[in-house]
Amino acid sequence: MLLQEAPAETFSFMAFGFIVILGTMGLYLLSLINRYRNLEQDMELLDELSAKVEPSVEST
Amino acid sequence: MEAAPRNLKILTGITIGLFVLALYMVFIYAPREAVMGDVQRVFYFHVASGWVGAVAFLVTAIAGGVYLAKRDRKWDRVAVASVEIGVVFTFINIASGSIWARPIWNTWWTWDPRLVTATIMLLLYVAYLMLRQGIDDPDRRARFGSVYGIVAFVSVPITFVSIRIFRTIHPVIIGSGDPAAEGAFDMTPRMLQAFMFSLLTFTFIYATLLWYRIRLGRLSEEVEERKMEMMSV
Repeated sequence: MLLQEAPAETFSFMAFGFIVILGTMGLYLLSLINRYRNLEQDMELLDELSAKVEPSVEST
Repeated sequence: MEAAPRNLKILTGITIGLFVLALYMVFIYAPREAVMGDVQRVFYFHVASGWVGAVAFLVTAIAGGVYLAKRDRKWDRVAVASVEIGVVFTFINIASGSIWARPIWNTWWTWDPRLVTATIMLLLYVAYLMLRQGIDDPDRRARFGSVYGIVAFVSVPITFVSIRIFRTIHPVIIGSGDPAAEGAFDMTPRMLQAFMFSLLTFTFIYATLLWYRIRLGRLSEEVEERKMEMMSV
């Protein structure tokens, strides 16, 4: 490799490397957004449930 | 979705801007390396990812220490958020290094001290996340996480110095390395600027992700508390 005059042809490895780097970062970002949305849905559901439970507790 | 605080929005904007600039510097500003060719460009984000991993695990150890001293759960949230980000970026570091190694070392993997210590470090923190799942009591979980985070941090300096004290083929770009190292190169001023800028950008990425992940942890705890309240009614 040291004796060659032109740089090695390694474009495909570079492309693969950046697909892995940017892809992993993107997947982690999507996972954060997805988990946050799911938790917010859980929170809304809990709000609805507690609104239903409270009147029934009062009536008893 | 609950609106992000103004400062977080500003930080996100700065981080996105820096990331776009970093991509420009890596692909256009920095010259093509004379021997390795284009694959050398992976080096900028490869090292920056390793840097984020080390910083993240340091923050975990510090947050663990503060939690043990103050017993305030917010520090446990910081610790676990930081480990998660550290694991993601250490994985990126190892995976991108392996891809770089294929054309340069002619192998995807070799049992080199740096590769082995980095992988042990990654597995230690993956175990941290898995073991936490097995503890139901939040205070016990936080105590365990804090002690584990401090002890596991020993793996970080060992990983850093492994290429400086053991015989290795992994190149040392900054400082002197083993003469047997393969893939070492001299950085031109433009390469050095792209490298330093990548480090800065990834530090901002870490800070931004940490903030979002801490918010996620807080919301998760709120949901758990609400569920417990509902079950007790």
